[in-house]
Amino acid sequence: MTGIKSTITKLSLAVVAMYGFSYALVPIYDTFCEITGLNGKTNEVAYVANDIKEDNRFVTVKFISNVANSAPLYFEPSVSEMTVQVGKPYNTHYVMKNNSSKQLHTTASPSVTPGKHAEYFKKIECFCFNQQTINAGEVKDLGIQFIIDNELPNDSGDIVLSYTMFDISNNIKETNKL
Amino acid sequence: MNRLSILIVSMLVPLTTLADWEVNMPRGVSPTANAAYDLHMLIFYITVVIGIVVFGVMFYSIYHHRKSKGAKPASFHESTTVEVIWTVIPFVILVGMAIPATKTLIMMEDTRNSEITVKVTGYQWMWKYDYVEDDVSFFSKLADSSNEARQLGSKIDVNKVDNYLLNVDNEMVLPTNTKVRILLTASDVIHAWWVPEITGKKDAIPGYINELWVDIKEPGVYRGQCTELCGKDHGFMPIVVRAVPKEEYTKWVSLNQKNRVADKSK
Amino acid sequence: MSANIDHLKEEHHQPSGLMRWITTTNHKDIGSLYLWFSLLMFFVGGLMALVIRAELFQPGLQFVVPGFFNQMTTMHALIMIFGAVMPAFVGLANWQLPMMIGAPDMALPRLNNWSFWILPFAFTMLLSTLFFESGGPAAGWTLYPPLSLQGGNSMPFVIFSLHLLGASSILGAINVIATILNMRAPGMTLMKMPIFVWTWLITAFLLIASMPVLAGAITMLLTDRFYGTSFFTAAGGGDPVLFQHIFWFFGHPEVYILILPAFGIVSTIIPAFSRKKLFGYDSMVYATASIALLSFIVWAHHMFTVGMPLAGEIFFMFTTMLIAVPTGVKVFNWVATMWKGSMTFETPMLFALAFIILFTIGGFSGLMLAITPADFQYHDTYFVVAHFHYVLVPGAVFAIIAAVYYWLPKWTGKMYNETLGKIHFWMTTIFVNITFFPMHFVGLAGMPRRIPDYAVQFTDFNMIASVGAFGFGLSQLLFVYILFLTLRQPVTAADKSWEGAEGLEWTLPSPAPYHSFDTPPKVD
Repeated sequence: MTGIKSTITKLSLAVVAMYGFSYALVPIYDTFCEITGLNGKTNEVAYVANDIKEDNRFVTVKFISNVANSAPLYFEPSVSEMTVQVGKPYNTHYVMKNNSSKQLHTTASPSVTPGKHAEYFKKIECFCFNQQTINAGEVKDLGIQFIIDNELPNDSGDIVLSYTMFDISNNIKETNKL
Repeated sequence: MNRLSILIVSMLVPLTTLADWEVNMPRGVSPTANAAYDLHMLIFYITVVIGIVVFGVMFYSIYHHRKSKGAKPASFHESTTVEVIWTVIPFVILVGMAIPATKTLIMMEDTRNSEITVKVTGYQWMWKYDYVEDDVSFFSKLADSSNEARQLGSKIDVNKVDNYLLNVDNEMVLPTNTKVRILLTASDVIHAWWVPEITGKKDAIPGYINELWVDIKEPGVYRGQCTELCGKDHGFMPIVVRAVPKEEYTKWVSLNQKNRVADKSK
Repeated sequence: MSANIDHLKEEHHQPSGLMRWITTTNHKDIGSLYLWFSLLMFFVGGLMALVIRAELFQPGLQFVVPGFFNQMTTMHALIMIFGAVMPAFVGLANWQLPMMIGAPDMALPRLNNWSFWILPFAFTMLLSTLFFESGGPAAGWTLYPPLSLQGGNSMPFVIFSLHLLGASSILGAINVIATILNMRAPGMTLMKMPIFVWTWLITAFLLIASMPVLAGAITMLLTDRFYGTSFFTAAGGGDPVLFQHIFWFFGHPEVYILILPAFGIVSTIIPAFSRKKLFGYDSMVYATASIALLSFIVWAHHMFTVGMPLAGEIFFMFTTMLIAVPTGVKVFNWVATMWKGSMTFETPMLFALAFIILFTIGGFSGLMLAITPADFQYHDTYFVVAHFHYVLVPGAVFAIIAAVYYWLPKWTGKMYNETLGKIHFWMTTIFVNITFFPMHFVGLAGMPRRIPDYAVQFTDFNMIASVGAFGFGLSQLLFVYILFLTLRQPVTAADKSWEGAEGLEWTLPSPAPYHSFDTPPKVD
């Protein structure tokens, strides 16, 4: 019977380990995304640009915006396209307007395509690092400062930067209730 | 068992001969759709040949090595040589398939040098098209005639509805012989954008952006559907692309830009 | 299946009637419970399939609204996978494993009782959601967020019932492994085990490795919905695609959980009716093991269209294609087993032969689906529906039916009616092809899956498929009738019911005694 007992112990440990593994997949996936640019995830905290060198190459960056779940928001890039020098920081901004009659809390999710170029698109400053609070009818300029890494391979096409703005007012209310 | 073989053969044959019964993938009108079609046919024919050989041997054995014909069982039950052979041969065939498949895949994923960019956004249950460079933007949903006919107990004969379930109010217009980059995202849940004759599908995921490219070689109207379950009306958000020569496209853009400007002032 | 009455009399402490079944710890009783339960669920899931096929008989909506249609497709999948096929295999394992390895019973009899009795409660809960005001789950059995997060009140109940089903499967798997590793008759080394035992051992390891991952994925869904986490919502920095990765990390091994025991059954039946030993036993074991290992590195082929990086698409395409090699080895070995045999074609053999042909057709379409650029066209169309029904219905389900016909005389001591069995086989095989073969055509022609209504050019083949589905359903009523007739007969079956059958179970009397081997047999 000891054989059976040790089998059970080992298998139970395997079950627990695999359950843990499913949660471990979350950070593994994030790391994997960062390395491969899966889904065009970009850096989630401000990038400190110290080892990027200026370069004679120019690339076109296109700016795209989306509003999730048809929230009552106007959200558009101030310019739809910029031709930028590789390795040089640039500033631009998005415009957001609250079309509803109450204060809203929002957060933006960035995505770059082609995904494999996400790692070369570094955000030095970005409104997407924080949540926004916007009053009824208020218009806000949301700034970004970015730099294209000079490691960017040659023959890269245009880079598209997309932000999707989510209205998270309900989530915030619920958290406060708790 | 012979009846079964006849049944199966008779079911495989129409795949190649009865084109008017829509039994096969449509030939494409763009390089990516054509490449997918060619690969599809290549792999299909390879599997047919393998099937004929394997099932042929099997049916030969079933016919000749039966007890009622007085067959006595042989005693062999292993042979390393044979095992190695039928591990290696399939492997070689697979490598033969993988090479063209990989080449096609690399071609499909290369969105560089596109002339225009269109952002496609999936909504429950319609599509929105934004022509990024040209400031044209509109929603596209199931045509009213189909929408009325598709209601439970509508009593409308769907066979008489114009392009039942595959017709929209506002068609997406694209120029022919132009590389178009299509950016995909969604507002609420995951959708997938697919027009078989133009391109394979790709998911539209809320919060993230995907891309694919098309280059339509022939003017015409091409129809597709949402292909990721997105809720109750998933089956009712078709895609219609009208491909027109470049000059006509330019005209269409200028016409619709005005509408858009008018819209904005509201 | 329930004819152990003679042997029951020997059991002095055994309660009778309903309590016998509720408290039983006997592997044969529990095996029977699993098999009857699976048959019941097969009909429940089948009725849902018929609702789907009735609605799809012609274009336009005739019977149900789209929301209910989605509930039907979702439930049909959950019921058939977790309620019909998996319990049937566990039932077969319960009946056969102790007999095949020369053991008196399973290693953990009380656990065995538990893992069965979880099922009726889990399925009652799952099915009850259909009567909720907001309806049952409708986001597909894959439960992709954000759609599944939009679902009504049914969602936590569905997730809890899936947890229960997962727990049941894990307990069952632990029991199977503990039995096989510790209770084999002296002399039965691993490489002398019957092939069915081998495939079940590997399946059990797949269950241990994959079910907890499903539990994790659906728990994250639950906390996303009710506790403010954002694993899968972009608004909080999560990613809906992550769910798909975790789900299919479970989901692909799950696919092989549904087919490996079927390989074991076919590898048992083909030699028995060819009167010749299984060709390449060792390579069969290695092929099964390598299929199981490969199943953990191919998961993303279910999601080629989510926008993976090129390298990922190529990797998953290659690994997926690689699975064709061990699977091919299996098919070749079966054909080589038949070669120069002395074949007869009783019902179990007919089902096993149909399995080889139709499963191989399903394998061919699987190979086509592995080719990523072509998959961009096939993905989420009826071509996929045709593919997985070919591997699951004439695959897994045919193997289960074959196993029941093959071992029924051993279980009950009674032989089924061969003529009726053959009629059942031909009706089932013809209708299964009428149902699922046209789905290849409509899929290639562009019909997406999971839609309640379709464009008129898909009408003809959908009508054919619907006719086939109703025919298939009726044919299975004949199966129930055959079982009923068999059980009413007197005990007449020989101990070794088939001329070419091999294995320890055939050394026992028919019907098999309540405790299989009280003294372990010697295996040389």
